[in-house]
Amino acid sequence: MEDLLTVKDLKTWFPIKSGVIQRTVGHVKAVDGISFTVHKGETFGLVGESGSGKTTVARTILRLIEPTKGEIYFDGINVTKAKGRKLRKLRRRMQIIFQDPYASLDPRQTVNSMLIEAMKVHGITQSRSEAHEKALKLLNKVGLSEEHLYRFPHEFSGGQRQRIAVARALTVNPDFLILDEPTSFLDVSVQASVLNLLKDLQKDFNLTYLFISHNLAVVHHMSNRVAVMYLGKFVEVADKDIIYNSPKHPYTYHLMAAIPVPDPEFQKEEVLLTGDVPSPVDIPPGCRFHPRCPYATDKCKSKEPLLTEKDGHWVACHYDVDFKSGEIRT
Amino acid sequence: MREEKTILEVKDLRVNFHTYRGEVKALNGVDLKLYKREILGLVGESGCGKSVTALTVLGLLPDNAHIIGGEILFKKEDLLKKSREDKRILRANELATVFQDPLTYLNPVLKIETQLMEVFMLNEKLLKQAAIAKKTHSKNVTFDDLLSWKKELANESSDIKVSKAEIKNMAKHLCIDLLKLVKLPDPERILREYPFELSGGMRQRIMIAMALARRPSIFIADEITTAVDVTIQAQILHLMRELRDKIDASTIMVTHDLSVAAEIADRIAVMYGGNVVEAAPTVDIFRNPLHPYTTMLMRSIPNVKKPVETLKSIPGTVPEMINPPSGCRFHPRCPFAMDKCRKKRPKLIKAVEKHEVACYLIGG
Repeated sequence: MEDLLTVKDLKTWFPIKSGVIQRTVGHVKAVDGISFTVHKGETFGLVGESGSGKTTVARTILRLIEPTKGEIYFDGINVTKAKGRKLRKLRRRMQIIFQDPYASLDPRQTVNSMLIEAMKVHGITQSRSEAHEKALKLLNKVGLSEEHLYRFPHEFSGGQRQRIAVARALTVNPDFLILDEPTSFLDVSVQASVLNLLKDLQKDFNLTYLFISHNLAVVHHMSNRVAVMYLGKFVEVADKDIIYNSPKHPYTYHLMAAIPVPDPEFQKEEVLLTGDVPSPVDIPPGCRFHPRCPYATDKCKSKEPLLTEKDGHWVACHYDVDFKSGEIRT
Repeated sequence: MREEKTILEVKDLRVNFHTYRGEVKALNGVDLKLYKREILGLVGESGCGKSVTALTVLGLLPDNAHIIGGEILFKKEDLLKKSREDKRILRANELATVFQDPLTYLNPVLKIETQLMEVFMLNEKLLKQAAIAKKTHSKNVTFDDLLSWKKELANESSDIKVSKAEIKNMAKHLCIDLLKLVKLPDPERILREYPFELSGGMRQRIMIAMALARRPSIFIADEITTAVDVTIQAQILHLMRELRDKIDASTIMVTHDLSVAAEIADRIAVMYGGNVVEAAPTVDIFRNPLHPYTTMLMRSIPNVKKPVETLKSIPGTVPEMINPPSGCRFHPRCPFAMDKCRKKRPKLIKAVEKHEVACYLIGG
């Protein structure tokens, strides 16, 4: 499979400034060295608890935040070094859908002008009538109709707004869409229709998705491959069925066991993780999961495990733990 | 399910809100029963009235709300007829609540100790009894003992003098005991800390502890796992299950997440557009949902254990409550809607044993 996006050792640190002369006294290590590739046409899911750095990854890929270190290649082009016109060209191909459709749409613009503006900026269409036609076509595609074209965002429900945001992203013919919690603001009954829409659009427009969510069931439904993030690093990357059914990393295992199942008759194993996610300012030494890990040894406290691959299954753990028996193999 | 004794009964409750845009008809005749010692999951989407129902029971509705009709029976008395002060006393002794965002409900400038002790100090009589018991039996009084004393005070002779300091010590001792009960590590340290020093999950546990301190008979948990991460959510749900066996309280668990309700509730009541549309024991409602909305809602949520290619979505959107649809409020989105549904709202009736539903398709 062809790679569309390659991220190499990406780090995004935010300085903490303090004192009169605003000296940097530390860093929030939101993203602390991650590498991955996204194949053309797939949906790459990114899960993690709040504060694990998921959104920072998304924003750094789009250069909405400058990376501290590392490289990002999109279709062979170095995103981190791109400037001016080249960057703008890249931005046309990479679009993002934000979480909150109440904040991401300009309240003073009609749907029509919103959709046409993006096309104008990127020179997608030659004439106004052509742009109008395309806007209408996309609006139909996302399940809205012509009557909605001249309305303002406040006249729409959350689900409809998210559809408009999707239509707006599609006006510039992107190859790659970052979906940052696209349904977490929506009601459950509406969420399903937006997820179905995104799946349909992916087929129709040959899109590649980076799907970010804290809702593990939704990520499972949408993705081909899934990466699990913890405190700015990936702990495990693999096909979704492997991640959800036979995870190798203790964190993934506990995370998966914590998913509530909408079936009261499902017999769940009761495995609980103790404690909370530590602060990304003050990352524990060694394996950053060790303070919460029930299998941690002395080695985990001092040496950080690297993300290593076996048959397309990447795990960052010193050990191979059998979660059923609790046996720890090296 | 435990004993089938009704502890709380909401009958045909109607609540409107005055807003500048018009009258919001938030509750449109809610019928709800809470049995003794059960966990009832009150499930619905935003704006369906689940929180308003909880707030009405607590008597905490904002000023622009108006109770149009109905009654809430608790211990054979109508809560809606009670005075403000009576309701306050009820909230202190019988009805405890935990809300979604603990940071909003904890005082940011007071230590946890001050806030938690205050709850105990409100019932000085009880503390005195506990201190006396400690003195006479020279045994450590735990929070569990207080629970077993129920609401009546232990009949110890009260001629034994107890000093203020002893009472205070007792309160602190009970605080520590309580924090242990909600599985907080290092309770002595936590008592000395301020809310901002604790994580979201810990704060939520403090809130649960505060609610338990009053030894309530009804515990209302409003979206308590919504603001926390999934691993913390699992911890809190686990704690709630454990506590249910320890405390003698009935719980109303308000949540928008059917999966959470499936994990913890004995019984589930599904709300839509200001009505309870279906109520049944959890297993029954998942095995055999009767209301079209419940059925469709269950098909629209992804299940990790039973993946499907496409989810079945419910067409349309959640109704607007200023001009709600006539008759059954679900009819514009219902594939089975009949003429009757547009005209008159179906009543919540018993369809099968223990299974109530409000739909013309099933009887009525």
